Amino acid sequence: MVELKNVDVHYKEGGVDALNDVNLRINDGEFVFIVGSSGAGKSTLLKLLTRELSPTNGRVFVNGYNLSKLGARKIPKFRRSIGMIFQDFRLIPNLTVYENVAFVLRVTDRSRRFIRQRVPYVLNLVKLYDKARSYPSQLSGGEQQRVAIARAFASDPGLIIADEPTGNIDPELSYEIVELLKDINQCGTTVLMVTHEHDLVKYFGGRIISLKKGCVDFDDYIGGNNEG
Amino acid sequence: MKGSNFSYLVKQGVVSVWYNRVMSFASFCILMVSLLLIGLAVLFSLDISVIIGNIEDRNEMLVFVDGDIDDSELSYISDVLNSQDYVSRVVFYSKEQAWEDEKLSEKYGSGATALFESVDENPMPTTYRVTLNDITKVHEAAERFRRIEGVDWVAAPYDFAEFLISVRNTFTIIGIAILSALVVVCLVIIYNTARASVFARRMQISIMKHVGATNSFIKFPFFIEGMFIGFLAGTASWYLTKVAYESVFSVFERDIMILQFLGFSNVMGFEAIKWYVLAANCLAGALLGAIGTILSMGKHLKV
Repeated sequence: MVELKNVDVHYKEGGVDALNDVNLRINDGEFVFIVGSSGAGKSTLLKLLTRELSPTNGRVFVNGYNLSKLGARKIPKFRRSIGMIFQDFRLIPNLTVYENVAFVLRVTDRSRRFIRQRVPYVLNLVKLYDKARSYPSQLSGGEQQRVAIARAFASDPGLIIADEPTGNIDPELSYEIVELLKDINQCGTTVLMVTHEHDLVKYFGGRIISLKKGCVDFDDYIGGNNEG
Repeated sequence: MKGSNFSYLVKQGVVSVWYNRVMSFASFCILMVSLLLIGLAVLFSLDISVIIGNIEDRNEMLVFVDGDIDDSELSYISDVLNSQDYVSRVVFYSKEQAWEDEKLSEKYGSGATALFESVDENPMPTTYRVTLNDITKVHEAAERFRRIEGVDWVAAPYDFAEFLISVRNTFTIIGIAILSALVVVCLVIIYNTARASVFARRMQISIMKHVGATNSFIKFPFFIEGMFIGFLAGTASWYLTKVAYESVFSVFERDIMILQFLGFSNVMGFEAIKWYVLAANCLAGALLGAIGTILSMGKHLKV
């Protein structure tokens, strides 16, 4: 579950109010699109949810952690409870596809046996098992993003946060990526996807949270074009 | 950390050396040159210290005893002289020996034999020739010896001692200054090279932080990598130190006069100290490499 209560974020440098009195609640198992123009506060919201940033005022709860009070030592443990997907994939360049996915499991001290079972399973889910020995630089943008999705899902987190995951790939592959995230969501994982691609949002529908000038401008469900 | 993770992280550290081979090579070269310069500076300053020590060992004090002294009193003086910590050698020089040596001395010319035979009583004093192992104690020793019962007077090389002490102090200060400057310069260069190497991989560190890796989990492969490069640089610098040191040494070896004049006969040959130098270079290289890398990671871990 994700919950923000009366959250303000004020950047001292530049004197910018990035978020103003934001109140949000996202329940377990939901799939939510977060939209908004540049400077609306999307990046700040994501930084709050991954504890890169603390709120100036208010409280932030994610997966049972009170991030407003979370000490630096507990941040790694918290981050293992979420999966992150980035616009620029952020795969470790000197690790193979297999090792990139296995890395998150090694971080959590999982056994070799578990890693040997789990990594092929998630690579199969994203249809990249045959690329397990390839390096990120040998893959296309779409394939790299699918590896990033596999990595985010490998540790079976309660929440996946996707920051414009379709921003760096061909438009026709964008739908495939969102379909993949929808499939993961069907397994019970909460998915929070930030995007500025309105066509995707209209196509898939669901809960949409729109930010504007640091405030929640719109928070409701819309029907998708794919439902007809 | 589990055993399987430990071996994985060690392997990652070693693999990273090859994967980031350009930066690894730059770090290797910087560390190697730094260790070479510091190593040579240390060895040569130790050599200078040995040379000065050799010259110092040639000091000699003369302890003159009273003319009418008996054997038991002589024995007492000898015991007191030998019991001092700063005394390395005591040689008895009898008045008879001194008289004989004086007769044979060439300074009086060929017609001096008749002159010596006309003297009824041996005028030469009985002496002890005392060598100190610490020349800074020359005043203290002279004062102490003068107070021994049966000692007439003491002749000590005060000027020679003071000259050597000032030479040693000057070399010590110059040596420390050069070595300190070298260490500081090398540390700055090593730190900056490590920073550049880590900066090139800041994205990788950020990714690791985002997936929940602890700082120690992220640092460990970098630590191994830095240590590995440092170890290799230490080994390479040892070989270069050997070549450079032996080349300089051979220049002096060719001219025995210079060798003897400078007291080079006791200077450390590389063969005798090669394992110590290798151990010191490898240890210093591994520590500098590992610590330099870890220190330069700090900023990038704050994600």
